[in-house]
Amino acid sequence: MDNNLKNNWRIGVLLLPGLVILGVFTFYPIIKMIVMSFFDWKIGYKQTSSFVGLRNYIDVFSDPIAKTALVNTLYYAVITVPGQIVLGLFVAVLINGIKKFSVTFRLFYYLPVITSWVVVALLFRYIFSNQGLLNYMLTDILKCTDEPIGWLSHRWTALTATTILGIWKGIGWNMVVFLAALQAVPIEYYDAASMDGCGAVKQFFYITLPNIKGSILFALVMLFIGAFNTYTPIMVITGGNPAHQTEVVLTWMYYQTFSAVGKMGYASALSVIVAIIVAIISVVLFKFIKPDNEI
Amino acid sequence: MNKYKKATSFLLCIILLLVMLIGCSQQSTSSSDNQASSKQSTSNNDSQKADSKDEQVTIQFWHNYDAGAGQIDVLNQLIAQFESQNPSIKVNPVYLEWSALRSNVVAGATTGMLPDVLRGDIAFVPQFQSLNVLTEMGALPDYNTIASSILEAPNSSAKMGDKFYGIAANTNTKILFYNKKLFEEAGLSVPKTQDEMWNDAKALSKGKVIGFVEAGTGAWNIAQYIWSNGGDLLAPDYSTATGYINSDIAVATIQKLADLYKAKALTGPSLDPGALGDTDGWTAGVYAMEIDGPWRATMAKDANIDIGAAQMPAGTAGSIGVLGGEDFMMFKTSDKAHQEAAWKFIKFMVGKEAQVAMAKVGQIPVNKEALTDSATIEAMPLMPIFSEALKTARPRPVTPKWSDIDNIITTKVAEAITGQKPVKVALDEAAVEIDKLLAQK
Repeated sequence: MDNNLKNNWRIGVLLLPGLVILGVFTFYPIIKMIVMSFFDWKIGYKQTSSFVGLRNYIDVFSDPIAKTALVNTLYYAVITVPGQIVLGLFVAVLINGIKKFSVTFRLFYYLPVITSWVVVALLFRYIFSNQGLLNYMLTDILKCTDEPIGWLSHRWTALTATTILGIWKGIGWNMVVFLAALQAVPIEYYDAASMDGCGAVKQFFYITLPNIKGSILFALVMLFIGAFNTYTPIMVITGGNPAHQTEVVLTWMYYQTFSAVGKMGYASALSVIVAIIVAIISVVLFKFIKPDNEI
Repeated sequence: MNKYKKATSFLLCIILLLVMLIGCSQQSTSSSDNQASSKQSTSNNDSQKADSKDEQVTIQFWHNYDAGAGQIDVLNQLIAQFESQNPSIKVNPVYLEWSALRSNVVAGATTGMLPDVLRGDIAFVPQFQSLNVLTEMGALPDYNTIASSILEAPNSSAKMGDKFYGIAANTNTKILFYNKKLFEEAGLSVPKTQDEMWNDAKALSKGKVIGFVEAGTGAWNIAQYIWSNGGDLLAPDYSTATGYINSDIAVATIQKLADLYKAKALTGPSLDPGALGDTDGWTAGVYAMEIDGPWRATMAKDANIDIGAAQMPAGTAGSIGVLGGEDFMMFKTSDKAHQEAAWKFIKFMVGKEAQVAMAKVGQIPVNKEALTDSATIEAMPLMPIFSEALKTARPRPVTPKWSDIDNIITTKVAEAITGQKPVKVALDEAAVEIDKLLAQK
């Protein structure tokens, strides 16, 4: 009895610092944000906030630009997440198969991941701008078109440009995750399969993929959460323009809080809605891809 | 099982504790925020309070004077001069870029980390006042005496209702700048009317050249065209926008801009994220005309562009520009000693000597004596054009909701010009949204 109590006490003390940090930096902001979403939260000096119930949520649902932002974010997520996973897996499979220079290749593919978002977003802005590199190639080098194309002037082309940035930047991270998973697949499976006359492609679909399900699920959930959190690429490449057509949820939230006169309650309501959407997507992904419980 | 129960109940306790803390802080939002912010400002001024015991006060001065134009050097000289005249006051200048100035005050409003003096865009006054951070400077003892020595129109930018929340630091408005070389090559003369200007823009737009650049779509950018044609953005008493922002005059004016955008004779980085910024475009020789303030001349000089300047072309009702400029503002978070020091510094900066010194680096003075001083006239060759424009320039509405209203105008005009919605539809929507905003509280 005594021993048990002592053990539990020790466990409690060891857990305490982590719990405190988690509490202060994760739970407290989340709960406070949920509370804020029911108030007309003022960010001024010595200003009182009034309780407004569900009005912020109604404002969000009736706001056409919030809908635009949500659709844009979903578009960005639906394009970048599968794009990154497919390309990351492809690169991982290739690197897994070579014996020489694998470290060099891994380094170069991982470099984009550690570059600054702002710097690469600016670079992509210059590439896609009206007088930028892409238009230069099209009009002067390849002579495909006479006039430069306004890639960033319209909603869907601008968003697609940012998705290309997102995919390029994420391939390395996915490659690392999948390389680790690939190396955990027992070689015996492949040996047995080749003895039975199974080709490389079939081996990939019937042996590799099922065995790395856990990693794919992990990558999917992490990437979806990340895609819903994009701010920098959109802000730097288009700033949400023209006329808020390329806003994503985070840029719209920031605009509502800091450009307008502090609609913090609205932004909090939007955050809560986005959090619920991301939670639903995660639950659906978990249900859909049942990873094997065997190690 | 026992261990898991213990861990879960422990976790629940933590969450309950947090919820209670939040709940308690919720009931006394104002008082706890008060305490937090006053504690913050006390600790902020703590090091300074210790100074005041030795009668040394250090004031924080946030500004966005342009280093490129030499304004920071002049500022440092003026500060040195002020400090030698006032040995008990030290001024700590902090440069913040235009939008960072605003967002830092917004962020500082809750925490109480605010400066003692700020020199910022006159457009910030309504927003800062709605954050409840500005001192009512009009209530200071010798405010009216000082105010009588500066121009009335620029100073009215700090007036909300019948109270003054700042004092004018410098003023400006916009005139027409054009690329002389492009005009010569096209054989065009400087436009005197809006219609001439738009026709010139179309004529100049060939190859990579675009005739006109408009950097934004807010009131600062488009109000001049509407006002010059006899229209307006809001009713004179700011009670409604219907019939003004969506009047036939406004619709026709914005329609002209939309047509030019479609014909690729007009563009801007906020209309088209793929377009060059206005400074980059001028340097690259891509943009031929812009209606902009005195800083455009400074930039052109630095980039060796042969730029010409002229009065903003008149519409049917004359040439009415938008009044711009900066105001000095003081903050409620400063204690008495700092407020006194701050006011002394501001009085120095709006005095004749400081205003003339700043005039030499592109800041149009608001001090009446400084305006007619020979050194000012000599330092600003474009002064005659700006003086003429300042005679008719109108300030934007200084009403608490102005920042929100301007955001609506910016969005709707951008939608209209880029062709996302028909101009009448977009401006009607703007009128509806603005009226809804004006009707609240």
